[in-house]
Amino acid sequence: MVGGLAGMTGLMAAAAGGDGALAAGTVAGPWWVVLIPLLPMAGVVLTLVCAIFDVRSKAPAWMSVGCLAGSFGLAVLAYFELAGGPTAVTFGFRWIDVAWGEGPGQRLSADFAFAFDGLTCLWMLFVTGLATLIALYASEYMSHDVGVGYCRFFAAFNLFVFSMACLVMADNLLLLFLGWEGVGLCSYLLIGYFYKKPSAVAAAKKAFIMNRIGDLGLLMGMLLTFVQFGTLKYAELWPLVEPFVAAVRAGHADEVPFLVGLIPVLFMVGAFGKSAQLPLYVWLPDAMEGPTPVSALIHAATMVTAGVYLVARTYPLFLVSEWALPVVAWVGALTALLAATIGMAQFDIKRIMAYSTVSQLGYMFCGMALLTSVGGAFHVFTHAFFKATLFLCCGAVMHGFAGQLDLRRLSGVGLMPGWRIVGLAMLVGCLNLAGFPFTAGFFSKDMILADAFVTAGPGYSAIGWILLVTAGLTAYYTFRVFFRVFVGPVEYEPGDEHHGDSHDAHDDHAEHETAHVEHGHGFHPHAPGWAINLVLALLAVGSIAAAGAYFVYADHHGWVGHLLHGSPAEPTHEAAFVDAHGDGDGHAEAHGSFFGLDPHKAMYFVSSAIGLVGIGVAFWLHYLGRTTAATSRADALLPKVGPVARWAQGKWYVDELYDAVIVKPLWVLSHVLHMFDKLVVDGLVNAAGWLPRMIGRAVRPSQGGVLHGYAVQMACGIAFALVIVWLMTL
Amino acid sequence: MSGSWTIAQASLPAPMDGVTLAHYLVVSAAMFAIGLVGFLTRRNLIIMFLCTELMFQAAGIALIAFSRFHLHMTGQTFVIFVLTVAAAEAALALALVVLLYRRKDSLSADEWAELKG
Amino acid sequence: MMLALLILLPLVFALVVAARPAEHARSIALVGTLVALVACVAAMRTFDWSDAADTGQLGGSVAWLPALGLHLSVGVDSVALLLIALTALLGPLCVLGSWTAITEQRRTFYAWLLVLQAAMTGVFASRDLVLFYVCFEFTLIPMYVLISLFGSTNRRAAATKFFLYTFTGSLLTLAGLLYVAWFVARPEQHGAWTFDIGVLTAHAPRMSGMEQGWVLLALLAGFAVKVPLFPVHTWLPLAHTEAPTAGSVILAGVLLKLGTYGIYRFALPIAPAAVLEYAPLIAGLSVVGIVYAGLVCWVQTDVKKLVAYSSVSHLGFCVLGLVALNGAGLSGSVMYMINHGLSTGALFLLVGMMYERYHTRSMRELGGLAAKMPVWATFMVFFAMASVGLPGLNGFVSEFLCIMGAFQADDGWGRFGDLPGATPGRLGPWFGFAAGTGVIIAAMYLLYMVGRMCFGPLIEPGGHGGAHGHGDEHARDGGLPADLTGREIGALLPLAALCLALGVYPSPLLDSIREPVNATVAHVLGNAEGGGGAPARPVAPGTVHAEGGQ
Repeated sequence: MVGGLAGMTGLMAAAAGGDGALAAGTVAGPWWVVLIPLLPMAGVVLTLVCAIFDVRSKAPAWMSVGCLAGSFGLAVLAYFELAGGPTAVTFGFRWIDVAWGEGPGQRLSADFAFAFDGLTCLWMLFVTGLATLIALYASEYMSHDVGVGYCRFFAAFNLFVFSMACLVMADNLLLLFLGWEGVGLCSYLLIGYFYKKPSAVAAAKKAFIMNRIGDLGLLMGMLLTFVQFGTLKYAELWPLVEPFVAAVRAGHADEVPFLVGLIPVLFMVGAFGKSAQLPLYVWLPDAMEGPTPVSALIHAATMVTAGVYLVARTYPLFLVSEWALPVVAWVGALTALLAATIGMAQFDIKRIMAYSTVSQLGYMFCGMALLTSVGGAFHVFTHAFFKATLFLCCGAVMHGFAGQLDLRRLSGVGLMPGWRIVGLAMLVGCLNLAGFPFTAGFFSKDMILADAFVTAGPGYSAIGWILLVTAGLTAYYTFRVFFRVFVGPVEYEPGDEHHGDSHDAHDDHAEHETAHVEHGHGFHPHAPGWAINLVLALLAVGSIAAAGAYFVYADHHGWVGHLLHGSPAEPTHEAAFVDAHGDGDGHAEAHGSFFGLDPHKAMYFVSSAIGLVGIGVAFWLHYLGRTTAATSRADALLPKVGPVARWAQGKWYVDELYDAVIVKPLWVLSHVLHMFDKLVVDGLVNAAGWLPRMIGRAVRPSQGGVLHGYAVQMACGIAFALVIVWLMTL
Repeated sequence: MSGSWTIAQASLPAPMDGVTLAHYLVVSAAMFAIGLVGFLTRRNLIIMFLCTELMFQAAGIALIAFSRFHLHMTGQTFVIFVLTVAAAEAALALALVVLLYRRKDSLSADEWAELKG
Repeated sequence: MMLALLILLPLVFALVVAARPAEHARSIALVGTLVALVACVAAMRTFDWSDAADTGQLGGSVAWLPALGLHLSVGVDSVALLLIALTALLGPLCVLGSWTAITEQRRTFYAWLLVLQAAMTGVFASRDLVLFYVCFEFTLIPMYVLISLFGSTNRRAAATKFFLYTFTGSLLTLAGLLYVAWFVARPEQHGAWTFDIGVLTAHAPRMSGMEQGWVLLALLAGFAVKVPLFPVHTWLPLAHTEAPTAGSVILAGVLLKLGTYGIYRFALPIAPAAVLEYAPLIAGLSVVGIVYAGLVCWVQTDVKKLVAYSSVSHLGFCVLGLVALNGAGLSGSVMYMINHGLSTGALFLLVGMMYERYHTRSMRELGGLAAKMPVWATFMVFFAMASVGLPGLNGFVSEFLCIMGAFQADDGWGRFGDLPGATPGRLGPWFGFAAGTGVIIAAMYLLYMVGRMCFGPLIEPGGHGGAHGHGDEHARDGGLPADLTGREIGALLPLAALCLALGVYPSPLLDSIREPVNATVAHVLGNAEGGGGAPARPVAPGTVHAEGGQ
């Protein structure tokens, strides 16, 4: 195929001029940057080759880990070489290039070209780093599927990292869109990994379609960007946006054209789809049907933050729009609250983590919208670590207890021999998520919370309160899981799957039967092996160490701020915009206050207190005096809150609502259209065919078969024609 | 249109005195009418066939008359064609009539009325 | 005379197939189509890509009826050549796809298949209107034979409907084309009868607005049925469902493109003012078709019908791009013609391979086939994704450009200032948005199909249960194994490779069609002065203004 491509290139030697001409403010990047996405692509090819040759060993996993580690290494190298400098653009090859004129905007050009700035760097570091670790984890986790399924898993896994790299490193919106849809595809493939399970297939489909709804927004936003600015390349775009940014900064928000203000609103729709925000969040909890490493990498740490990335990447556009950021803020806050309330009432620990992801993504969007892009990005970064840790711990439990995820059927796991590392890692993750003082999650969440009270905007202080309440709820449900599953009396019940994830394409895998034997009646949980333990330990350490990023580069609000410096999401815009967007001109109001205190300082104490209260409630309800796995003190309390708990457990029936309001009517409409097509559209065609037949039937008797009859008719006809001719000559 | 096919006037015999185009056309029309009436009234296939030939020739006369009148040879060419085709067709038609006669032992056209709608 | 060779080669091989014993038919057909493919590659190498807009390349002309201005004249520009290449590529794949499926009357089947290929090549290669029309209509005959002799249960009705429906439409097209020829033959125009497409399209835009309107209507009557555009699409699902696999592949891959190619080659250049005026109407029908057919797809239970309706939906994008009348739209549309041929052709091949094994197309009786046929399922997912328009695969490039073309083409953008990315036209963002919803719907129905057919618990029609030994199936299905054979994979791999290649690296193709597409746009806009209320545009030197489309 490569040969064919090369041949085609030579064949169609239509010159288009050497591309890769650099826009102002960028420098040519080193060639090895393209290896960051290409190495995972090589991983895809290698694992597919393994699948073709039916390799039945862990080789695909090691290849993947190798490729991903190489990619991570290059990302680190890029961090040292490129971060802090101007945007480095490495040109790959021309992708879509259509020109219909010479003027500006008369050429759509989107290349496979990779731009590297601080924002890219931040994302690439944790994407490739976590991908490497999680691939290592998956090598053990997926070991029961060794064979074609194993290859399939790692192929999609690598393809995901490739797509994510395209998304993050793209130098134009169209390549970002390629990555954007590419990660959606991988998400589809991996959620549906256990393809014999109807629920997994349905979840995969739901995720893809929900994402596509968002993608339509992004697509329209891209088209509008092109119409408005005539380019999709960031480097050419930002200089064109700059005047509007300056106008807003100078207080002339009304100078921003309507269309420019509309673009971020459309992008936002895409971001909400990909990052599972209201109203498109319902796919993410269902996505937990996929294998747990996938949930950890794609549906917690990386892919779902793509929406936040999009906002950060196109931050100047968001800044100039009047409505975009307030909408983002409110959607984020409401999603955070809603998802947290649902998370409190679930029993499936993986789903709880999924809702917590939705909730935390809400925080990140708030961070972006509250003009603390550093806070948002920092939260993305810390969240990636601790949420991956949490998911992988859940995965270890699932793996060890035959797919058991119900927190009423597991207890004291962390106290069992061989499970210490899992328990400790879980504790680290939970503390981070709950915002326990001096953890990474604490600092990143505080940056967002404080700015809710600092930034002026429509109801932003209400958002601050919502986020504070949500922080409490988060601490509660996080530690509900911890206190019920990882500590307390040791008690367990295996799940109904033979192993963590049981299905394989082939029923006759004799060599896999060994795995089944141990899950007979005498069930013994099998403790995680070295790979899982190692990864969990590393991630737990990483989660803790992430806090350190808060203390370095103090002049830039920490390491993340340092990275974002010079990128479109650069926080230097903020101060000016606080004034520009706020109604008042007073410094006091612009900087807000929290009961007369500086929010940034007050928030340390307030959020610590709220987090501790949440943990305390969980401790009291789910640990103190609990003797069995199935029940806790909370059970007695639940009836007192009435049906609310049941509603929350039923996820507020949003899925049912969508089904009733959108899916069912559309389904009925489709059937109606199908009938319409059959009866009316095709019916008219058939009627058109029926008409001549009827006419023929009517005039048929005139054809009597008698020769003289025809002759007379003919003679009459001629006579008639003659008469006509004669009349015409008169 | 009339340029290339017109024959030089000088080489033509002088037209008959008093005989005009109308005369030819009357003859032609009469022949055609006889043929038509014969075709419509007779039942014998051979007679009917002869009647069609009569109509053919009527048309031919008209064509030649017009051709002479307009000094344009296309009409005459056309008649030669018609004559040739008619000769071939006569052979075919008579053969068909023989075959039909063998089937029904009759030459009546009314015997053949199966082909009705 | 490379093109004459390309047309004649399949005909010669058709004669050979007819003359040789039936058991050799498929091998001869395979050789014939492969030879044609090699010839096509040679033609592509000879073609001067730097002068891609020259429509007379590789061709020649032989007098046919010079008194009437008829010539057997062939020649291609890059657009036509690429479509010929698509035809030549699908040829051998169709033979491979029918290898075991056609067991009786093989000579008839393969001979007509080859004749069909010649006719389709002739359509794209024609430089003479009458030759074009003859080839255009002649494609009906082989297709009629293929459907009515080798189709499934309801084949007669399907074949008749297909023939009569498309034929009726094309008669009106003939009338329109003849009117154009008559107009051009007037003394004040060209002054003599000619059917040379270049001459016709150069003079035809001088027709008055009303004339153009009627001519456009007549041309669309044939081409829109062929495309098929909503609401004249109902022959398609029936014909597709009943046709044999090769028939469906050709039908979707090439025959539908005759309609869009006809619009591109004739309707746009001949009646530019009318096209501009009625663009919103045509685009409206396309968009309705995209959404409507997509939703209808979603509730199908017959997988082949689903793919057939998806063609209606997809071709809507193609027409939308055509009437956007700008560089992006037209490029996207031409790309779509090729890409749709590849991905939908492959989907039909896949469905055919499945049908050969299970003898049913009902998704109620089938499910979870990934467990039984993993290779098949992999290809299925791949081509479904290509069809969904996933970036990185071919469908996206064309779909995006078509939507973008429609989105840009709006004079109304002027209200927002002088926007660099806007182009003149009468469509606009709402058309783009409506077509964009089609992308979501495409995901809905194709994932529904993949979810039902490939994933979930294994469901097989009675007699194919898991308890059955493989030997039993072998006896019934002509020795086909459960999963795809090497031959079948061989038929799919080239398509898969092209789908990927055209998705990742479409720029050579986009470059090659840039000149002809931009020339067409310039011709249309330059000649459409006054049509559809569009602002005045500079007219290429030497062309005369139309009298106005209003």
